[in-house]
Amino acid sequence: MGNKNSENSFVRQEEYEPAHIMSYSRKRTVRWGIALVGAAVLVLLGVKLWADRKYHLISFLIALLSCFLFYFSYEKREGSIRRIVLIAVMTVMAIVGRLLFMPVPAIKPVGAIVILTGIYMGPEAGFLVGSLTAVISGMTFGQGPWVAFQMVAWGLNGFIAGLPGLRFLLRKRIPLILYGIWAGIQYSLVMDIWTLFSLDGTFAFGRYLAVLGTVVPYMLAYAAANVVFLLLMVKPLGEKLQRIQIKHGIF
Amino acid sequence: MRGFQGYHPAILFLYYALLLLLSLLTMQPVLLLCSLFGAFLLYAALFGIREMLPDLVFYALLFVLLAVINPLVVHDGETVLFFLNGKAITKEAIAYGGAGSLVMITVVVWSACYTELLTTDKILFLFGKALPKLGLILSMTFRFIPLFQKQADRIGQVQRTMGLYNGKNLKQRFGGAYRTFDSLLTWSMENSIDTADAMKARGYGLRGRSSFSVFRFRLRDGKMLALMLLLSGIVLIGAGKGNMDFYFYPHLAEIETGAEAFVYYLAMLLLCCIPGFCEWKESLSWNYLKSKI
Repeated sequence: MGNKNSENSFVRQEEYEPAHIMSYSRKRTVRWGIALVGAAVLVLLGVKLWADRKYHLISFLIALLSCFLFYFSYEKREGSIRRIVLIAVMTVMAIVGRLLFMPVPAIKPVGAIVILTGIYMGPEAGFLVGSLTAVISGMTFGQGPWVAFQMVAWGLNGFIAGLPGLRFLLRKRIPLILYGIWAGIQYSLVMDIWTLFSLDGTFAFGRYLAVLGTVVPYMLAYAAANVVFLLLMVKPLGEKLQRIQIKHGIF
Repeated sequence: MRGFQGYHPAILFLYYALLLLLSLLTMQPVLLLCSLFGAFLLYAALFGIREMLPDLVFYALLFVLLAVINPLVVHDGETVLFFLNGKAITKEAIAYGGAGSLVMITVVVWSACYTELLTTDKILFLFGKALPKLGLILSMTFRFIPLFQKQADRIGQVQRTMGLYNGKNLKQRFGGAYRTFDSLLTWSMENSIDTADAMKARGYGLRGRSSFSVFRFRLRDGKMLALMLLLSGIVLIGAGKGNMDFYFYPHLAEIETGAEAFVYYLAMLLLCCIPGFCEWKESLSWNYLKSKI
């Protein structure tokens, strides 16, 4: 990343970005507003209907709803076929990465690939690759309600990495490492909501913290895997993604 | 084979959603056991009884593990069984842990079955219409996985033929794998651009293009839908009357045993056994017909 050549392309892309980002920012705000309202409605429904006891069902529905809201709004948005195919390629890379590391618990390159997609292809692509990887690889790893949480967890990793303010910062080494660590923790935090609810069905903040205490080794493993794979792949994957988009005019 | 898998994907999906909803909604032991029984019936039909036994042991261990955690953490409940480190271990907490882990195992077993039942082509058929772009990404992903594996093999072979990274030591192996991955990435991205251009040239996304599917909503699908709605309707009426409510604290609720409650239990049992029954019937008649040849 450090050489002169990539510095140049970095500047060039920045010239492309603003129009692209501005044209979607209002739609994005509306979309996430709707998702929040939907989640609030679900929570209220849950409180009313089941006297506040069915957290696992409600949280599962919220996770699923947020993914589908995202997908439907993605459908509305026009995008070139090239972009769509490139997203499919990145999804395959993440899935194959997860399959390759199947025997090793918690150490998976998925997070890193999703983050790089977010940085180099934007938040939507990041979310899509993250959530689709969870669904499709779930066909080998086993499908269930937790997959909805995985979709959100990995999707968010990619989405946040692609946010306009962050994505240029993350092209530098140190912020990238820090974000890798944070993404591992964040993945664990989202998944632990499900761990807790599936054990218990109710939510108590004290018990959430207790569960968090037991999964600290996993959290560290996620973070470490993210950092290692990010550093390994930022050059082959990140630069190639950038290059192919500039070469073929995919934005 | 035209067992439960032969039904329309929408029926399969609806059934899964219904079962997941009912299993997550209730902690009533009888209903949970009904759901678990149905799940294992289907599991045995799909994977075979002999293959199921080791899994059964695994689930039993999981059940014990999950059931033990709750009384260690929660000390609510009236009936104290004994004290551990000065903390009360109560009957209610054990029962709650048991019911919670039953829910968990039920969901896991249903999901394992559905990985087999609701295959990718069916999922694509279900969501392809509503979410065409997503459907496209999904179907391309399924196609790319074997394609990339093949290409990775090819690249590796070429590298070995050229005498690169032939060594047995770890550094050489890692270098070879990295180089294969690197060139696979370049190839797959350029290849994807070609695919996209070819699709555009063939008119992808134009209006009025039709698509082929093998799934038709037949009469038997309609009958199955009616049966499912009837049975789940009865169960939900029971839920409305409070038969699905079950509380554990401060003391265990009584399991309703009246004739009316029995109707609801029976409806739940029948509902949960539909897929397992369909699969068993199909495989039995298949074996019977084969034995006659």
